[in-house]
Amino acid sequence: MSLWVDQYRPRSLDELHYHKELTERLRSLAASGDFPHMLFYGPSGAGKKTRIGCTLKQLFGPGVEKLKIDQRVFLSPSKRKLEINVVQSNYHIEITPSEAGNYDRVVIQEILKEIAQTQQVDLSAKQRFKVVVLNEADSLTRDAQAALRRTMEKYMSNMRIILCANSTSRLIAPIKSRCLLMRVAAPNETEMHEVLKYVAKSVRIDLPPEAAHKIVEDSNGNMRKAILVLEALKMQSPDLTGPLSIAKPDWETYCHKVADLIVQEQSPARVMEVRAKFYELLSHCIPPTVILKTVAERITERVDESLKAEVMHWAAFYEVRMRMGNKKIFHLEAWVVKVMSLYKQFFYEMDISSFD
Amino acid sequence: MDSMMFTTTDLLGPGPSVLEIDDHLELEAGPSSNLTFSLGGLLDPAPTISSTESQGNLLQVPIHRMLDELSLSTASKLDGSNQKANQTHVNPDNDFTLWCDRYRPQKFTELVGNERVAREVMTWVKQWDWCVFGRRKAKKRTKDEEQSDEPVDEFHRPRERILLLSGPPGLGKTTLAHIVASQAGYDALEINASDARSGQVVDDRIRSALEAGSMLGGNKPTMLILDEVDGATGAGENANSFIAKLIQLTTDRPRRKKNSGKNGKAQTQRPILRPIICICNDINASALTKLRQHSLQVRMTRPADVHVVKRLREICELERLKADSRALTALVGVTRGDLRGCLNTLQFIKSRNEDVTENVIRRATLGMKESETSITSILNDLFSPLSKKRVKELGLTEEEEGHYVSRLCHDIDACGRDISIAIGCFSHYATLRQHDANFTRYESANSWLGTYDLFSSAMYSDGDFSLRQYLPYTLVPFHALFHERGGRVERSQDDWEPDTDARQNQKITQTNQEIYQSISRGLRIASARHHGAYRHFVEMPMLQLELAPYINRIISPPIRPINSQVIKAGERALLSRLVSIMAALELRFVQERAEDGQLTYRLDPPVDVFITYDGKRANDIPASRYAVRHLVAGEVDNLLFAINNDVIEKGKRGKHDFSGSTRTDENGDQPPSKRFKADHTDIVDRPPTDFFGRPITTPSAGIRKVSGAKVLEKKFRIAFKYAEGNSAAVRKPVKVSSFL
Repeated sequence: MSLWVDQYRPRSLDELHYHKELTERLRSLAASGDFPHMLFYGPSGAGKKTRIGCTLKQLFGPGVEKLKIDQRVFLSPSKRKLEINVVQSNYHIEITPSEAGNYDRVVIQEILKEIAQTQQVDLSAKQRFKVVVLNEADSLTRDAQAALRRTMEKYMSNMRIILCANSTSRLIAPIKSRCLLMRVAAPNETEMHEVLKYVAKSVRIDLPPEAAHKIVEDSNGNMRKAILVLEALKMQSPDLTGPLSIAKPDWETYCHKVADLIVQEQSPARVMEVRAKFYELLSHCIPPTVILKTVAERITERVDESLKAEVMHWAAFYEVRMRMGNKKIFHLEAWVVKVMSLYKQFFYEMDISSFD
Repeated sequence: MDSMMFTTTDLLGPGPSVLEIDDHLELEAGPSSNLTFSLGGLLDPAPTISSTESQGNLLQVPIHRMLDELSLSTASKLDGSNQKANQTHVNPDNDFTLWCDRYRPQKFTELVGNERVAREVMTWVKQWDWCVFGRRKAKKRTKDEEQSDEPVDEFHRPRERILLLSGPPGLGKTTLAHIVASQAGYDALEINASDARSGQVVDDRIRSALEAGSMLGGNKPTMLILDEVDGATGAGENANSFIAKLIQLTTDRPRRKKNSGKNGKAQTQRPILRPIICICNDINASALTKLRQHSLQVRMTRPADVHVVKRLREICELERLKADSRALTALVGVTRGDLRGCLNTLQFIKSRNEDVTENVIRRATLGMKESETSITSILNDLFSPLSKKRVKELGLTEEEEGHYVSRLCHDIDACGRDISIAIGCFSHYATLRQHDANFTRYESANSWLGTYDLFSSAMYSDGDFSLRQYLPYTLVPFHALFHERGGRVERSQDDWEPDTDARQNQKITQTNQEIYQSISRGLRIASARHHGAYRHFVEMPMLQLELAPYINRIISPPIRPINSQVIKAGERALLSRLVSIMAALELRFVQERAEDGQLTYRLDPPVDVFITYDGKRANDIPASRYAVRHLVAGEVDNLLFAINNDVIEKGKRGKHDFSGSTRTDENGDQPPSKRFKADHTDIVDRPPTDFFGRPITTPSAGIRKVSGAKVLEKKFRIAFKYAEGNSAAVRKPVKVSSFL
């Protein structure tokens, strides 16, 4: 049995709950026979992959749901073995090239060549091309993106590419210009309510409006998270009535704790304490950018209005440095020290640096 | 310039070789210019002076012949001049030995300074006498004879079979080892960094040498001296590294000993009965971590300056070199007691026919200031000012002392491990209790660290190593920001590394990543079984940020630990859902016996680490009780068993399913796959039996019934029929429904 998120995931364009006009556009694109390369982008949990799946079904019929999942081994230029998981049907193939880390170029080249150079053998197939879905396209390296450019044009007759990314900012312009950009926005609150109601009805549980409201409020436009929360809640307190406390993910709570520590006291000892917490978070494989963002958001909630802009500015500044550098903890701590100093300066309401 | 000259002498051996090199350079320059000139002559019709050929003949001689002739003539010229050079430079009064070789102590009594260390080493070697030479008493090795209270092994070897001699260069560690060896009556077999240093060497050379007992042609026993072990491989966990092999060589003897005793014959691998001395500079080198616990550590320290100076003066007298003792004291100070360095410097000075005065010494040793470049010492230099003593030794003026930038840069650069130094700075700066009202110093420290990180990652990612020279400069500011008396970096345990917490963090991260990987493996298997249902969670940030926290909540519902037969309908639904989700993800509870003997159930893979921060579980998820876990574990195992059967029956026994079933093997109480193989003719018709044909009774009979019913619903009747005969094909009537 699968989780509700998957169980009640819409499988065809007709079943989609929100973004009706986007659905219509996808439908007409699939019908037109002139299907372009596409780039789906939007926040996490907005429904990009659901829409990709639905579009594929519209294009090829129910055959795309017969999936085969296996591992492929690629050789990096230095003869290291890279194992990539491949999900494929007769009509499409789905890969996450970032699994190969820095060698994603190899994966892209090999897979695309292979797909592109073989024509669809199934004569009864609705379309003559196959589709390659590339997940996490925004974490493709520059090399891999460059490798995509030419293939996208050259093998247009045999293959279409669907990219899926959170933001387009890290994709190079030539790729963007070759794709039809599809923005999948996060659902708004009423839309989320609707989906939650649908899920509750399908599972045949009673979802009190307050609970639904809370879930929606908490999940911040992330549909997947909302449904996961709903399922977790249902598991923990089967009747869903009474005072509900929605548990935040633990890393988030922990990040908030860090933020509180920073605001409470500014001292070298506190810097060390915060550093230990950062280490703990990093060792739980929480991406450092997420840590920085969550802590910064929490701090802006706690500090004075005039400081908020500064805090966010420096968070952005250090996030850039973090992405460029290797030692994430250096930049996290640099930001903490910066915020502490800002806070102290503000607290004394004078510029102490003139005395130093 | 002086220093450069010095190093060439050092590398190439005796003084004259410098001159020789210069000559070679000239010689090489000569013929090449000649060649180009004559070629130029060939190309244009202008008169040339090149060879014996007259102008008019030039066109008749093919060019390759001309070139041959040319090269022949230059070769002969080169030969001649070479001989000449050799003749001129063989100096009759100056033989080709370094002073530090010529005046190397030959006897134990000639060793200078460090008497205690020398004695310590000698004592240790003497402890081997019983084992190696066999004392008179050793003939009757009976149990009652063991009067010594320390546990002596059956070969009467000392407790530590390796001696680890450490200390800065030039103090005479190698000399000491050799002298002790010859004094105690051994032949020394030295293996140093110039030899191959892989784990294989241990097998190929060391073992054979030690087992043979003595070297070919010698009648003395062998003592192994491993020089410069800190350069050996062995930092990793790799069992094939040099150090690991070495330790293995010396430790796991007793077991083999027993074996050989039983067989009555010695096996191929005999115990090592010869002493081993390892020599290293940096005892804290990561390669030696494991060796340290198995060896007797002796640390060589700088001998008292008086002794060294005295010895130097003796040598100067022998070499007829005028030297005043102030100059010699200064020399010893600069080199920090490095006798080899002192002697090389003196020899160099002698070769330039100068007297030894303090000025000459200062000039000659310009490049020698950094002699100790361990990370700790550099961190100490960064975080504390130069000690007065060292200032005096280096003969720095007040002003020069203030110029720390180039000095520290040079040190950091020489160490070559700037990443460790950066991490050391990072972990150290905040522990200093300094008043820093508005964090200005902290801010700038951090911005320097950030800059360092940017530079180094740009350097490594783009392979642009020209940035390397700037890296030390980003770390030097720590001196300006944080130097203070008493701000020394502490060195606590012997396993000390400046980046302990960073490394620890790395280790935890690694284990957690492995857990994530096993979860994603589970997710993939699940998605293969459920038509791609779970596959979207496999992607990394989503897995960590959303699935990991919530799956923990989903799999820990409040279930009462009661018999599954009397469970209420609502709870039954809850339980079955929980079980199916866990089974889909291949999450299971594994029974384990804790240290106190209590049985516990552990989640496997342990996804609950992701709701555990600072060692505390999230407080909204109570850890379920033993009884509940027992109930769930039984159900999950049953369901997984059923799933695996199902898959096998469908004939699509993929790789993942196989791994799934073997895992059940490991921790389930009945081996399903074995049983399955045993009677897979018609499994449904028979009651479930184990390998020996006995009916299986699972511990929780009630649970089995429930899931058994489920299993029966799912299964299809299949009969396998094997046609006897030659055909390699397997024929089997299969129902169509099993393919659906």
